[in-house]
Amino acid sequence: MARASAAAALALMSLAGRAPAHEPPVAPDPPAMMDFVPPAPGTYRLYDIMPAPDGTVLDLEGRRARLARFTTGKITVLSFIYTNCDDARGCPLAYQVFHTMHDRLRETPALRDRVRLVTLSFDPAHDTPAVMRRYANGVITERAPGVEWTFLTTGSARELLPILDGFGQDVQVDRRPRAGRAPRLGHVLKVFLIDPRGMIREIYTTSYLFPDVVLNDIETLRRE
Amino acid sequence: MNRANWCFTLLVLATFSILPLIASADETCNSPYMGNLIKGQEDYVYVWTLGVKGMGDGFDKLVTIDANPTSKQYGKVIHKISVGGRGEAHHMGFTDDRRFLWAGGLDDSKIFVFDVGTDPARPKIVKRITDFPAKTGFIGPHTFYAMPGRMLVQGLSNTKDNGGSTGFAVYSNRGELINVQPMLSEKGGDGYGYDLAINPQKNVMLSSSFTGRANYMRELGKLVADGEAMKKFGNTMVVWDLKSLTPKKVLSVPGAPLEIRWSLRQGDNWAITASALTSKLWLVKEDAAGEWQAKEVATIGDPAKIPLPVDISISRDGTGLWVNTFMDGKTRYFDLTNPEQPKQTYEKVTGKQVNMISQSWDGKRVYIASSLLANWDKGGDDNEQFVRAFKWDGKELTPIFEVDFNKEKLGRAHHMKFGSKATRAAFTPARTASLVPAR
Repeated sequence: MARASAAAALALMSLAGRAPAHEPPVAPDPPAMMDFVPPAPGTYRLYDIMPAPDGTVLDLEGRRARLARFTTGKITVLSFIYTNCDDARGCPLAYQVFHTMHDRLRETPALRDRVRLVTLSFDPAHDTPAVMRRYANGVITERAPGVEWTFLTTGSARELLPILDGFGQDVQVDRRPRAGRAPRLGHVLKVFLIDPRGMIREIYTTSYLFPDVVLNDIETLRRE
Repeated sequence: MNRANWCFTLLVLATFSILPLIASADETCNSPYMGNLIKGQEDYVYVWTLGVKGMGDGFDKLVTIDANPTSKQYGKVIHKISVGGRGEAHHMGFTDDRRFLWAGGLDDSKIFVFDVGTDPARPKIVKRITDFPAKTGFIGPHTFYAMPGRMLVQGLSNTKDNGGSTGFAVYSNRGELINVQPMLSEKGGDGYGYDLAINPQKNVMLSSSFTGRANYMRELGKLVADGEAMKKFGNTMVVWDLKSLTPKKVLSVPGAPLEIRWSLRQGDNWAITASALTSKLWLVKEDAAGEWQAKEVATIGDPAKIPLPVDISISRDGTGLWVNTFMDGKTRYFDLTNPEQPKQTYEKVTGKQVNMISQSWDGKRVYIASSLLANWDKGGDDNEQFVRAFKWDGKELTPIFEVDFNKEKLGRAHHMKFGSKATRAAFTPARTASLVPAR
């Protein structure tokens, strides 16, 4: 999987020029198929893995805030993305799964007010609040009111790195040239399930990110 | 970007070169959650090596061999790091992001976490977990298996009687214990443990079974002569519900089923293992009713001679399997085109004793290490200790380099994992700073 330093990418991106966001994905591998019936909610335990780290983030208005504000108080599903991502099994898949969960949660009264989705960029050089606003536009204007879906970025690599480090989300730069396009930021994409206390209770990778499983895990936490 | 941010960025750039994308490589036996397999040429072979009293510093150590044929140091030991003790070094496993390599000792039950992300050519110890027995009740940490953000650590034995009743633990990647799960000791389960292997698409984990410390730390000749002791080996595999980490079904697999390999081919949902004492290959697969079943599918050598199949390595497409048998020093290849009927198509004596075997992702290179356990290795001239690299053209294994671990005064060569320059990580200082400093 593509990998490279986000901080290094900041420089590379500025040097290499920009590609528009949301380009068609490149040659996707077939996604992993869920070939099982997940255990029923509440029949298993989700252990405390580690506290979600805090840090400073920017909302879509460019206001600085503590990340903890968006990882406590509700059951939170958080993923890191960058808007230039074209790895079909990375950010676009996470985005698609979030849309699916958003729709499913909206139809579940017991959960919709107790769950928050958070999409956090790891490319502060490109993904400014304005870019994130465009990225989030459909969700915010067309899907609201509904399940809270928060889009965040950071003000700098200096503010981003401790957050990535705390979550264990590594990011690296692919230095292979991509004509006229920004470098690819490689990462083993993870999605984090965080309880209202701010404790990470499950971690998913996109290759095996099955909405039915995530929703059952959310319901399991709700029943605690 | 403001000036301060640019300065920070340039500092990072100056500190860490920008590295190529992982060439997709080995490693047909890693966790499915590892996202950056080395699918091209591996640069390094890491060898978890048992210390030998009077040989060099006598300590267990992680040895790094340069395995890139374009390197001037190709086939040479380029780095070694001792852990300051001799605790029966055995197996290793990468974290899901391949940044850290966990390695354990079967005798002292210590776990060492090596940073292989900052400089893959020069691994560093960043954490030592010394309370595995106290916190879990298990000893002999054997298999280290990555889950997202976590490591599963399978024990072989327990603190109470050194027998085979054991379990596994789940740690965060930072090395903090999350939970402990005993192996199944009822409903047909025998409580033994050895390997773990996950199929996420089926929500299934398989475990296998070996023996307790009282046996694996005993001199092999005396052990084999002790009929009662020889009864104390596992004869089962267990199917677990992955999500809940609870046992679902016990499979009868007599004779110590050891390494477990799932087929990596898309759509395949079967695993294979070798039983050490009965010298058989076993297929684990769902039947038409969706029930997991274990089935004996092949014989390895002459079981009456106890060739002792130890490690296995499956090809990336699930069509072939390497099997090392310790006693006769043979490396065998089985055609798995039909996993219900594996056919041996090749064999070669690759050493006087052979244990671990690892193949590159493309199957063109095969690495073999010599040591099984300190007290089970052969003596005298038969106690060769090496890592041997071979080229495989589909018909013949051809030697390409060898490191003599006796001559180099390194110790007994056991488990191997591959490394790549491309895995060098971007944020290593911050990541490693979050781990407990090495003592």
